[in-house]
Amino acid sequence: MSFLEFVQGPMFIFAATVFVLGALWRLVGIIKIGRKKDISPPKASAAAGFIKGNLRHFWPRGIFAKRTMVHIVGGYGFHLGLFALIFFGAYHIDFLNERILGFSWPAMPRWAFLMVSGIAFAGLIILWVRRISDPVMRLISDKDDHIGSWLTFLVMLSGCFALEQAHDILRAIHMLLVNIWLLYFPFSRLMHGFTFFLSRGSSGATYGRKGIDL
Amino acid sequence: MQNQIHSFRNFLSLGILMLMFAAFVAPVAAQSVLPPGNAVNLDDGIEEGPSNALGNLSDTEIWDIFRGGNPRDILAPTIEGQVMTTTGQQWRVIREQYILKYLGWAPLIVIGILAVFYLIRGPMKIAAGRSGKTIPRFSLSARVAHWFMAAIFIILGLTGLVILLGRVVIAPYLGLEANSVLTSAALQGHNLFGPLFIFALIWLFIKFVRGNFFQWVDLKWIFKLGGFFGGHVSSRQFNFGEKIWFWMVILVGIVISITGIIMLFPSLVEDVRWLQLSTILHAVGAVGLIAVAFGHIYIGTIGMEGSIDSMLKGEVDENWAKEHHDLWYEEVTGKSATEETEAPAKEEIS
Repeated sequence: MSFLEFVQGPMFIFAATVFVLGALWRLVGIIKIGRKKDISPPKASAAAGFIKGNLRHFWPRGIFAKRTMVHIVGGYGFHLGLFALIFFGAYHIDFLNERILGFSWPAMPRWAFLMVSGIAFAGLIILWVRRISDPVMRLISDKDDHIGSWLTFLVMLSGCFALEQAHDILRAIHMLLVNIWLLYFPFSRLMHGFTFFLSRGSSGATYGRKGIDL
Repeated sequence: MQNQIHSFRNFLSLGILMLMFAAFVAPVAAQSVLPPGNAVNLDDGIEEGPSNALGNLSDTEIWDIFRGGNPRDILAPTIEGQVMTTTGQQWRVIREQYILKYLGWAPLIVIGILAVFYLIRGPMKIAAGRSGKTIPRFSLSARVAHWFMAAIFIILGLTGLVILLGRVVIAPYLGLEANSVLTSAALQGHNLFGPLFIFALIWLFIKFVRGNFFQWVDLKWIFKLGGFFGGHVSSRQFNFGEKIWFWMVILVGIVISITGIIMLFPSLVEDVRWLQLSTILHAVGAVGLIAVAFGHIYIGTIGMEGSIDSMLKGEVDENWAKEHHDLWYEEVTGKSATEETEAPAKEEIS
């Protein structure tokens, strides 16, 4: 078995399994914590507040939007770009079709793939640069934040390096980093990819139940 | 011209003779000389032409007819009407004999000069020591723009050097296969990050152009050689050295961007010589920027105490501002830089 076969075979299956089970374990754990029973009579729907809380947090209020514009543009550029790369990149669709799902869907054209890659890279670099440039962000960031950012960057960079598909070793390095990323994801702040809707929803539900207009 | 036509006729006559020779003699030779048993007969569909068609009469004048114009003039206005162009030969000579041989030394020479300078001069300390009070110098968005450019510059610099110098620096030591893998990776990375450099350049320009135009006080900086060899030099927000670096990044960056676009999309230019010129300008400009960037990194980190704070924290120590950007300090605070610097000295004397 070659190194490439190993990293996109047994190692990928192991990493993907840990990713799915780990993420589920974390999500169920968070939901199971529950919250103290609120005995006051509800003034409005908590469920509606949950949904409104999620939607409202997609854009900051008033002056905060202007003050954090770099963060907003970088954040949306990176997250939407990464989503498009993973789920609409031809290489990724082929991989998912052949190894996991057994079906495929239309992929982005190559020019769009390259453009989205540029946007995603720019977004990620801006987010990390802001993390080290803003005194407050620098203080509240720890190793986990930096490892998550760098690991994601290396996964993307190795994927970019392997674009020519001329050397197996470049593809193998990319797959190795993908596997490490999948293994690290559930036990780090990368989990915000799944937990963001719970935290936003939780705040929204609390305010919604109290009848506060979001 | 008469001589040229005469030579051309000789050439054609010789060619016809050789073709006749090939037609009669080659089948006989094919029957008498058998290939080895393990030889592979590849049917690639390409018919072999007559060998040694020129015989022993290689006539440079015939080739001059084919070339037309001056083959050594890489910037000649047109190649229309020429059967072939030889500018590729000049391009290859420039690339192999000069760029690949010498260009890579430029960053190493700068590093060497900086190392010697550091050993002799040492770091430029804040003479009055840190005051403990800071004043804001760069906004968060300006710092993000700077570091974004720095990140893109490092990625493009590393991948670009692998593409340019891999064959002469990497291949002899790690082998051709390793160089092939690294160059393939670097090329993809370089092509993908290239457009981001243009974005970073525009962002950097917008954020830093204010204060980077020439001012009369810059003349003092020039006459005193920036104070690198002693003496105080007044300056506003940016001193003349910083201004030179800023405009170098912007102007050379524009050249690198345009030539990079031409190399990414060669069909944009009809004349192949623009493509050849682009590769040369791109390489020289980029390696030049990399070399000078080491000076920028040196003075921004170990070369000058307190300067890194401006880009990491956005604030600088007041004493640093008074010593290196006194006029800017006075503008920002409304205080006199000289008076406050002298005050502690008077106390010490008394």
